Amino acid sequence: MSLDRPTILLADDDPTIADSLAPFLERAGFHVLVVSDGMSALEKAQAHHPELIILDVLMPRMDGRETLRRLRKINIWTPTILLTQVGEASERALALEEGADDYLNKPFDPHELLARIRAVLRRARPGERSLSAAWLLTAHDLSLDRRARRASLAGKVLELTPKAFAVLEHLMTHPDEAVTRERLLDVVWGWEYPAGTRTVDTRMAELRRALNDDPTEPRFIETIPGEGYRFIAPVRGEG
Amino acid sequence: MLAQLLLPTIFPILSSVDFGTAAFVFGMTIRNPAVVAFSFGFIITAFIILIYYWDRRRIAQTQTMYADYLQEVGDRRRNFLRRLDHEIKNPLTGLRAALVNLTEEKTEEERDRAVMNAKRAVERLTRLLTDLRKLSDLEERAIERFPVNVPELLDDVVTAVRILPAHEKRDIHVLIPKVPSPFPTITGDRDLLLLAVYNLVENALKFTSADDSIEVRALEDGRSIVIEVADSGTGIPSDDLSKIFEELYRGSNARGTEGSGLGLALVHRIVTLHHGGVGVRSSQVEPRGTVFTVRLPRR
Repeated sequence: MSLDRPTILLADDDPTIADSLAPFLERAGFHVLVVSDGMSALEKAQAHHPELIILDVLMPRMDGRETLRRLRKINIWTPTILLTQVGEASERALALEEGADDYLNKPFDPHELLARIRAVLRRARPGERSLSAAWLLTAHDLSLDRRARRASLAGKVLELTPKAFAVLEHLMTHPDEAVTRERLLDVVWGWEYPAGTRTVDTRMAELRRALNDDPTEPRFIETIPGEGYRFIAPVRGEG
Repeated sequence: MLAQLLLPTIFPILSSVDFGTAAFVFGMTIRNPAVVAFSFGFIITAFIILIYYWDRRRIAQTQTMYADYLQEVGDRRRNFLRRLDHEIKNPLTGLRAALVNLTEEKTEEERDRAVMNAKRAVERLTRLLTDLRKLSDLEERAIERFPVNVPELLDDVVTAVRILPAHEKRDIHVLIPKVPSPFPTITGDRDLLLLAVYNLVENALKFTSADDSIEVRALEDGRSIVIEVADSGTGIPSDDLSKIFEELYRGSNARGTEGSGLGLALVHRIVTLHHGGVGVRSSQVEPRGTVFTVRLPRR
């Protein structure tokens, strides 16, 4: 990784978006390469080895998903953020299933994109595949099968609601990171949600009950007062 | 009225059935198989003709109803598009004007104001889009069905609205009956129900002034749980009352206020998903006020 200016490959076919985002990211201290379709993104990714790739989902010639699939197929595990078009739950699940490290719904605030870029870069382990691309996540005796949407603790399958599962999945793919309540609501709903703190907290209580996790002496999920939650157990990804 | 509609076509057939039955009985009394067989065939034929007519009428009725339905759907779509056009046009015009000002204004202060206006227009468009997405998302998503604690839910709403600028230290009274205890639960998706009540309380805050009072209350009548959001504001004109749950409809006194115009449509959709109903009563003369009622079935 070049120390001072990390390179970002930005692929978006809408010139107004690319033209405005590129200088914004340059100002934030990145070197930005802009391409307008999936094919050239694939080529540039192989030629320039960027530190991070931002892919729009809807692009001519090859869409963002296909581009990402092909990148992963040729063993390029560069952290990737997908810019999705619709906020529907299925769309978000797909974004993560295809091995994207994060996603952002259009329209977004550029500062939000910058925050995600920084978080993803902080999480990234160069050359290695990220947790977001793993099918099976394990931490202590807890394992999360993302394909089957099933979590088990010490070999016993946990009964979790889809929303609680989504929360656990997000926390496990972002270990050691302070995750705000607002972000968790966005993960569950995919749209801005009036942040009743209890909405997340009840979900969390359900999760802790299932995980048999004591909030005062947590093994898995730690509460950060006034901020949110953090998954503290070391997470390994497989498959 | 029904008889009037039906009689002209059915009457001759009905009298034929009568005649046939009489002949049948007569045939039985004189023990004449020929008369019995003939009148029996007569009755059956009359019945078949009767059923045929009845069926044709039913098909015609269904066709009319379907045509009406299509017409209504078309009307609703046209209305929606017209309103959407309007909702997008306004912030877009503001945005354009702000951009012109940004390039032409000379002083720093005026440029700052242009940026502020542009931001506001963008926020409005974003809010509209988010709410549209919520509506379409709710059409496809399966909702959770778990017991929901109503007093806790209302408490959460009141906490969540506290950060709204319209709140400004105003009090919202939550009324929950002490008996039966504990208050019966409803089955549904807690997050969505919270969103529905939140929208109603947000509206109440938006359309009332600081002196008005707002009440959120829950009742139960054995079969259903009723959640009411009441305010002592100026009330809604009666012409608007029937339309306020329509998507993007803006009542005459809601034109200038912020909002996507989809809040109540969302409430309606969420409550319908829970097999409940939503209603409103409002008065602009004493005793003044507006009450929104959400009725949800007990499990």
